[in-house]
Amino acid sequence: MAEPSVHNIIVTGVGGQGNVLASQIIATAAVNSGYFVSVGETFGASQRGGSVMSHIRISREEAYGPLIPRGKATMIVGFEPLETLRTLIPYGNKETGVIMNLRSNYPLSVLVGEDTYPEIEKIKEAIAANSRFLVALEATELAVAAGVPVGTNMVMTGAFAGAGVLPIPPETYEGVIAGLFGGELLELNLAAFRAGLKAIAADQDLAGQRR
Amino acid sequence: MSFLSLLVNEPGRSVLMTGNEAVARGAIEAGIGYASSYPGSPTAEILGNLGRLAGDYHFYAEWSVNEKVALEGAAAASFAGLRSICIMKPNGVNVALDSLASISQSGIKAGLVLVVGDDPAGHSSTNEEDSRYLEKLAHMPILEPSTPREAKEMTLAAFELSEKIKLPVALRCVTRVCHASGNVTVGEIAGVNRKPAIGKNERFITVKFLHALQEAKLNQVRRMADAWPFNRYAGPENAKTLVITAGASFMYAREAVKELGLEGEVGILKLGISWPLPEKTLLGRLKTAEKAVFIEEVEPFIEENVMHLAAQHMMDLYPLQFYGQKSGHVAGPSGPGIGEMNPEIVAMALAAVCGVNYSPPPGCDESVKKLVPKVPQRDLAFCAGCPHRASFWAVKSALALDGRDGVVLGDIGCYTMGVGRTGFNLLQTVHAMGSGVGMACGLGKLADYGFNQPVVAMVGDSTFYHAAIPALVNARYNKSSFLLVVLDNETTAMTGHQPHPGMGKNAMGEEVVRMPVESVAEGLGIPVSVHDPYDVEGTTELVFHLLQSEGTKVLVLRRACALIAAKGTKKPRVYVDQELCIGDSCGCNRFCNQTFSCTANIWDVKNNKAVIDEVVCNRCQVCVSLCPRGAIKVEGGEQIG
Amino acid sequence: MSRKKGSLDLKQEVMDSGACANCGLCAGLCPYIKAAGERVALVHPCGLEEGNCYRLCPRTSTDWEQMDKRVFGRERVDHVLGNHREIVFARSLQMDAAEKGQYGGVVSALAAFLLEQGRVSGAVLAGGPAGEAPRAVVATNRDEVLACAGSRYSASPTLSAVHRAVKEGINSLAVVGRPCQVLALRKMQGLEDGPGYPPAVDKVEFVIGLFCFWSLETGIYDLLNRKAGGQRILKVDIPQDFLTITTASGSANIPVDEVRPLIRPACRLCFDPTSEFADVSVGSTEYDPRWNTLIVRSAKGKEIVDAARARGIIETRAYPEERLPLLYQAVRNKKLRVLQALESGQGAGYLQLTGQYREALQRERGMNQ
Repeated sequence: MAEPSVHNIIVTGVGGQGNVLASQIIATAAVNSGYFVSVGETFGASQRGGSVMSHIRISREEAYGPLIPRGKATMIVGFEPLETLRTLIPYGNKETGVIMNLRSNYPLSVLVGEDTYPEIEKIKEAIAANSRFLVALEATELAVAAGVPVGTNMVMTGAFAGAGVLPIPPETYEGVIAGLFGGELLELNLAAFRAGLKAIAADQDLAGQRR
Repeated sequence: MSFLSLLVNEPGRSVLMTGNEAVARGAIEAGIGYASSYPGSPTAEILGNLGRLAGDYHFYAEWSVNEKVALEGAAAASFAGLRSICIMKPNGVNVALDSLASISQSGIKAGLVLVVGDDPAGHSSTNEEDSRYLEKLAHMPILEPSTPREAKEMTLAAFELSEKIKLPVALRCVTRVCHASGNVTVGEIAGVNRKPAIGKNERFITVKFLHALQEAKLNQVRRMADAWPFNRYAGPENAKTLVITAGASFMYAREAVKELGLEGEVGILKLGISWPLPEKTLLGRLKTAEKAVFIEEVEPFIEENVMHLAAQHMMDLYPLQFYGQKSGHVAGPSGPGIGEMNPEIVAMALAAVCGVNYSPPPGCDESVKKLVPKVPQRDLAFCAGCPHRASFWAVKSALALDGRDGVVLGDIGCYTMGVGRTGFNLLQTVHAMGSGVGMACGLGKLADYGFNQPVVAMVGDSTFYHAAIPALVNARYNKSSFLLVVLDNETTAMTGHQPHPGMGKNAMGEEVVRMPVESVAEGLGIPVSVHDPYDVEGTTELVFHLLQSEGTKVLVLRRACALIAAKGTKKPRVYVDQELCIGDSCGCNRFCNQTFSCTANIWDVKNNKAVIDEVVCNRCQVCVSLCPRGAIKVEGGEQIG
Repeated sequence: MSRKKGSLDLKQEVMDSGACANCGLCAGLCPYIKAAGERVALVHPCGLEEGNCYRLCPRTSTDWEQMDKRVFGRERVDHVLGNHREIVFARSLQMDAAEKGQYGGVVSALAAFLLEQGRVSGAVLAGGPAGEAPRAVVATNRDEVLACAGSRYSASPTLSAVHRAVKEGINSLAVVGRPCQVLALRKMQGLEDGPGYPPAVDKVEFVIGLFCFWSLETGIYDLLNRKAGGQRILKVDIPQDFLTITTASGSANIPVDEVRPLIRPACRLCFDPTSEFADVSVGSTEYDPRWNTLIVRSAKGKEIVDAARARGIIETRAYPEERLPLLYQAVRNKKLRVLQALESGQGAGYLQLTGQYREALQRERGMNQ
């Protein structure tokens, strides 16, 4: 399949999960590979438990605007199940690919008992029914296992890199990560990134559906 | 990307930068000598970056106590011949306006660029304000970049323009430029070699006869505006439908025209300068057009000014029709002039104007509903372990104990969220920086007229320095009776942990003298107490006690922002002993989870008991002290507090 | 059958109506009710319709005669002073307790004795400087008990400390309290076991009740400190018709009439001036400042008083014949006044009394006058 004129990738999650950094790594890897890239994000409320989205638009042809139009996401990288679904509803389409962390983060309305958190299986089903593919992984647990409990974003970045959405080799991402961290921190973050790569490579559903 | 991209010294290389980084880079390439700001989203990162680079490129950078002082410092540096940049959000322009209007009148020497980060939709603001009206009022040229790339290039050009006409120039960015990232081509970093000095005969004085000169300068810019290199036209010559736009809206307009397949019919005129208008360019395009459509954020600034221009040339332009916010064609879900633009809003407006069919993709809402009937909203909340949550609970408790319906006045910062559930809906007023304290002054004088409710103002540490001090002087002078609670988390948390005068550090990372809040209050002769809000019971008693006496009083609740405190310490594990937890029965009823509602105090549905989300928990241990059954326990690590 | 009641009812019926006796036992029972200074408040609705806070409140519906049966295992014969095994004059034989304490120092002596004997591991008392509103103290040794000696004249919600002490690991407590506080503790001990059962129920081992005909609002401390002219107040007493404050430079008298407006309105509805459900009750003699009146009520009370006497901690002597009618008269008058007020609709009908009890109270009036 020919590369689309623009990749519209949304990284979504809850403030504090590090999705700004993930989007910057993906975007930098693309710039370093010669693409025009635009990223739109808001981070005023990023640490306050709100819904946070980064729109990444990657094109060989021209710079796009910072916001992805409704229904035009080619890929959603969701750090949290509810946020993944929330993003898919307006921005996704039947051709959208989804990679999702299974670890829930509960909104205040759920904590106080006004709302209930939807069942994870129902969320998965709803996403699968409205997308091209869904890869769901325990990214937070993988990050903890890699020794970086806050490294969910690196695992998810690895999973994205390994999903083959962009014709950019994992080494390019690793090069970007190497520019961000040093010493032990670099090793830990690379370990988390590779855990994501490995998890996605092992995913049978994706292997079957990848085009 | 990030900070590192600012250091790239390979002219011509394309690197990823945010709009804020691009402005900082542009300022460095322009050879600034002075940079100042008070942190405000969406522009807070500009000075953050400049502060880190000030040493390398030999310029001065400061976090000023407020925007007025920031601007005055930058203006002074300009008088001395240094290019200077001053950065703020629209609310900052409100604060600085008095000085701004005067400085614009007195004129300047070296280039002075005022970067204003408007926040359409108020993503990280309490309000939504279009600063262009104020910049126009201050007789400033207004430049509007559409992308990070333009932000860098326009910063450079802004200094040239400012220097040429001796007026401060506004670089008006919006959130979708400041916080967007894109390819930016870096240029040469000029070595600066200017010795600041003010000539013996130089004068910078605001006098009314200079108004005429000020207008003449603007007219000069008006003539230059047509040649402003950032104005751009795309589309067929003599297009019947002309979109007039600026800033990030241009990107949406371009995408919308493409989406509708109207590239052959619709022309887009992007203004790189929105005041004064490039009149010849506009009139030239409008003469051949039948319909003009305005796409801009937030309010119809360009629309009004272009319509005014058109009115002067009515006979030439007839029968031109205008479409925009005034006509109601360009409107987000909340109506015209409210909120952000996006590709769908623009596409819908253009479709209506051009008579083509368009409706945005419906999304998969209906299909999802069958499986997940409701996707709960995610309200903003204090972070796990945030000292504000403990402070708000203590103040709420003290007011309930006091029993006289104490009034709580809010202010601007993370704690503004105290209007919501996360702060137990405690705040009854929220306005501008420091205004809760001024309002407390007023309420605190009404006892003689029958107002018998105690008054509490809650303000953050950075906001205290910014604008609360004059109000506190007023309170003491006029014998106003209220309790000022300063929520001191030892940083400017809301905008990303910038330093402030109470911290002993400045923007360039130097150690400086600490001016703690209590010293300021003591200096004013106001009784002041300092307490740790993590001691909820002690804080409650102290607040209760302070409410029982007359006079102006200050209570500093000091505890570092949980996000900073969590870094670097070996964290003890906080966990729930479910054997001891009494869950939803009398004596608790999910207090930690449903009432105190720290985001880490989640509910184990299976066992009907509390549990800690250890990925979210910042280990503050406040819930340990609040649990009525001692069921929340601590294991290992360094104890906090 | 009436609806089950909880914290919102407590707020409406007791706290907001001014009936709250400030015992403090509901505060700290859960995180929703708090006490500070001399205030108790529901700071946030707990979300439950019914609650133990309502059940144990001394100003919610209380069956007086049922309480006799549950606490003492028998009905009362004496409808004025309640169940008792002995009414005597008593005083501490230990100089420190006698000197520091009000009158005979019996409260301090007994509380310290219980601690020293290991009968309890903590004692909840009202403490703090004499010229300020008292605060709750959890004493774990004799010195800490003696530091609290001396009468208090305002109603601090000190029972909130009972829950705090238990949470901190003290597993048997002596509590010194006003009659309202004694009643609250006994109501708490009558709660049914189950989820949310307060852990303090099984931890209150011994209750020393005080005589209390009324308490004052915290405004009294402003008055006292004004009268003390800025000097530190060492002791406060109400010997007869004067309130006396003692400072380093001497003492000053304040006429009781000047204090009367500061009497807590809630106290005007209190039916129990002598802590009828305590193990022992202690008050002044209104006669001889070196002695206390001691009413020994329960078997446990008797056991402890006997042991304290045997070990020379306290001594007792017979209550003077001619003084007893005066005690009865004062208590009965208070009870009759309160009954009248309650019957006129004040106090939301907290007191459940049978007709027989009322009759007996009237009848005994004639007998003892």
